Amino acid sequence: MENHFRDPSREEAAAALNALSSDREHLAASVHAPWTLLAAFGGVGAWWVSAAAATNPGANYEPPSSSWLALVGTLIVVYLIQRETGVRFRRMGARAGWAIVGIIAACLLLFSVSLGFVSFGMHWAVAPTSLVAFATTTWLASVAYRSAVEHLRHG
Amino acid sequence: MAETRFDEIIHAPVRLRICGLLRPVDHLDFAVLRDTLSVSDATLSKHLKTLATSGYVTSRKAVSAGRDDARRITWLALTRAGRTAFDAHVRALQEIATPSI
Repeated sequence: MENHFRDPSREEAAAALNALSSDREHLAASVHAPWTLLAAFGGVGAWWVSAAAATNPGANYEPPSSSWLALVGTLIVVYLIQRETGVRFRRMGARAGWAIVGIIAACLLLFSVSLGFVSFGMHWAVAPTSLVAFATTTWLASVAYRSAVEHLRHG
Repeated sequence: MAETRFDEIIHAPVRLRICGLLRPVDHLDFAVLRDTLSVSDATLSKHLKTLATSGYVTSRKAVSAGRDDARRITWLALTRAGRTAFDAHVRALQEIATPSI
């Protein structure tokens, strides 16, 4: 038999609102950042930057086609994170937006630096820039994810 | 001005909590919602059915060739009507909890 709850008292209304806050807190606490998948973002970033080693900077430079593959890889990782956590965020917060901008800017910068190394024949130097891309992307992806969880916590 | 409306369908405790958890997300997995609320599958299903009948909640099973039926993800989401009704209901509760002097 189902109860009806018409005209709750002040205390009941306050308790119901508190329960909503507690549930959001509980959900946010249970959503853990899947580090292997966040590192997969780093892997995509590192792979994209490392593609500079296969290019031929100069007058005959042709941009690598890896950008589209990197985008597809990113979308696959996003899908896997959603399946792993069971949460699809509606909003991720301003900090996440800045982190994503940071990822794009860092990868573009590191790609440009890598192209510079390749133009001087220093193909080996693409390895450290790719490692930096991996670390930076993984870290900023974790920042973005934590921002999304905090956004969830505060409704 | 934002609408304030007490909704008896939403106000049942478990249904209010379901809507409260679905409101800040785009979609939430059935299992995550069940575990967060600490209720049984049957209880959650019953309340979701009521909310779905009212047009407040939608559900969709994610198809995956690599998973059998038992491990499929069931994504739940509030509809636009559900979000509007929940927001109006929360405002009604806030008015009751903190009446203006």
